[in-house]
Amino acid sequence: MEKLIYSFPASKTIEQPAHVGVVGSGDLEILVEPSDDNKTVFEIRTGITGFQDTWEKVIERFVSQNDISALIRINDFGATPGVVSIRLAQAVEVSTNGANHN
Amino acid sequence: MAQIITESLVESLARERAFQLLDKGSAYEILGPFDGLESPHLAAQNIVPQFDDGMIIVRGTLNGQQTVIVSIEGNFQGGGIGEVSGAKFAGTLEKVLKECENGNKIYPIIIYDTGGVRLQEANYGLLSIAEISAAIVALREYVPVIGIIPGKVGSFGGMSLTAGLCSALIMTREGRLGMNGPEVVQQEAGIRELDSRNKQLIWKMIGGAVRTESGLADILVEDDIPNYQDAIQSIWNGEIKLKHRTKNVEQYLSLFKSLDIEEKITPEQAKEHFNTKPANVNTDLPASLEGGNSTGRKWFDLITNGEPSLSEVPSVLVADTSISGVKARVIAVVPNTESNYYRARKGEIGLLEGWTIAKYVRQAIEEDKNLTEKRLILPIVDVPSQAFGYHEELFGIYLSCSAAVDAYATARLSGHPIVAAIVGNAISGAFLSHGMQANRLIALNDDGVNVHVMSKKSAAIITQRSIEELDEAAKEVPSMAYDIQSFKKLGALYNLLDGVNAKEPNSEDKAVLVEAILDAYKDIQSSSIRDLSCRLKSEIAISSGRKASIQVREMIDAQWK
Repeated sequence: MEKLIYSFPASKTIEQPAHVGVVGSGDLEILVEPSDDNKTVFEIRTGITGFQDTWEKVIERFVSQNDISALIRINDFGATPGVVSIRLAQAVEVSTNGANHN
Repeated sequence: MAQIITESLVESLARERAFQLLDKGSAYEILGPFDGLESPHLAAQNIVPQFDDGMIIVRGTLNGQQTVIVSIEGNFQGGGIGEVSGAKFAGTLEKVLKECENGNKIYPIIIYDTGGVRLQEANYGLLSIAEISAAIVALREYVPVIGIIPGKVGSFGGMSLTAGLCSALIMTREGRLGMNGPEVVQQEAGIRELDSRNKQLIWKMIGGAVRTESGLADILVEDDIPNYQDAIQSIWNGEIKLKHRTKNVEQYLSLFKSLDIEEKITPEQAKEHFNTKPANVNTDLPASLEGGNSTGRKWFDLITNGEPSLSEVPSVLVADTSISGVKARVIAVVPNTESNYYRARKGEIGLLEGWTIAKYVRQAIEEDKNLTEKRLILPIVDVPSQAFGYHEELFGIYLSCSAAVDAYATARLSGHPIVAAIVGNAISGAFLSHGMQANRLIALNDDGVNVHVMSKKSAAIITQRSIEELDEAAKEVPSMAYDIQSFKKLGALYNLLDGVNAKEPNSEDKAVLVEAILDAYKDIQSSSIRDLSCRLKSEIAISSGRKASIQVREMIDAQWK
């Protein structure tokens, strides 16, 4: 397991927390919690080691498109960069529109 | 995007499954991912945890009825039960039980998707499954406990024992119900016994359709939400008659006493066997003492002063005796090299053994039902494992184990003090069936005394690690270790006895064990508590062994509305 932490400046707050995905083969779990720190902080735990460069690219791309002040925690179980990006987009949508399981 | 568009339960994640089944707008989650109660033991082994530990608890209503759903996430660690996930499951049922006792009926539904014990947390899974089983047996007296096995994982390992205890089971064709997964049977018994790649055969053996047709499950549904809801309702309103399978000892025991497995029985034939009333057989089963001089037998003979066994099955010894004036029924499972069940000749718990334990425990309950002072029941634990075999899976070995669990739990609840004496191996499903439901566990501090969930070789294959890596991990996480000193660190042992010769006991060794048994007996009698909660109240449990288990239960209490 590898732990990666990234922090980026942010200005916009988000409405509500979000939780998407599952720590299953080729997938990941993302927890988004609003913060007032004007930062997007990523805390990543991944079972696949040695892909720091790839993570950085995926995260930087996300941050360039989304300005949210939040703590984003990720538990990764071997998701491809494509899956990571889609899950992140899903998490942002849920935190904007709400995850109504009911 | 988070809107649920599919009506399939099989294709949904555990959380979606729970919300899909309940009335819209009625449901809320308890101990969700934002509470951050993840497994402390996975990260310690460099394994990525999940925020909810793969166990989802949702409360709400279904057709207006107060309901709680426990849903296992099969995608995370194969739905394996660890300390936190197990405590969420057991704690929820314990809470529902309290509500029911107070006259507030809440209907529990379990959605199974699990391979059984999470091997990376091993003995925590074992303890949890014992607690889950205990809660189901107690809860069934108030409300039907419904299990759903939609697939894709199915329900395996120790969790299949809890499925066997459910009042009713709903399955799909994609669901599978068995004890030992096909890969493990192949690993333990060889490819000639079972070819795990033969998927068609496996579905015919343990799939939802055949399990329902054989009377081991109650309702087979097509995978669509309204079908599950209708099935649940039909159980609640009594349209489906509850089968009480684990209490049906005579039927199953007669079947397994008369079954001839010299030639492989096909799944089609097995179905016929299940659906035919077995003839009453009184023939003696073949027995051999050769190689049968096990640790368990030695202790059985010592404790009972050589009393002959009254059991009709040679591999299960049963005798009534008096231990310093305390009436006791002593039960041991021992090897029988002549058993027709060739995969259960070394003292394993197989099709015969589980049902036989059930028979003699239930006999004691029946005989003592009008007595205020119930007989002490004393399982002598020296069990190498459950039996791994083709016929065992085909004929539902899990249910044989469930029957034993049910009998012990029922005896405990009806006031029989149960003290399990662990004198040898106490392993996996065998320990769950024989010993784990005891009010108190005592063990001998000896290198021949081991508690674990799976042979190292199989555990290595399933978790894709080497045996060296497993040994290394066990140093960090005591629940993964096999020795009794490590098991003690989890806080469930009432007493660990030093200086006793476990393998070649003499009368002095006997005296030490007997004293400990009487001490445990008195401790049970001094309190009115008949559940397994004392395992969470020991000093070791509170200070280190079961910290997470205790915290989870407190948090369920706090979030329960």
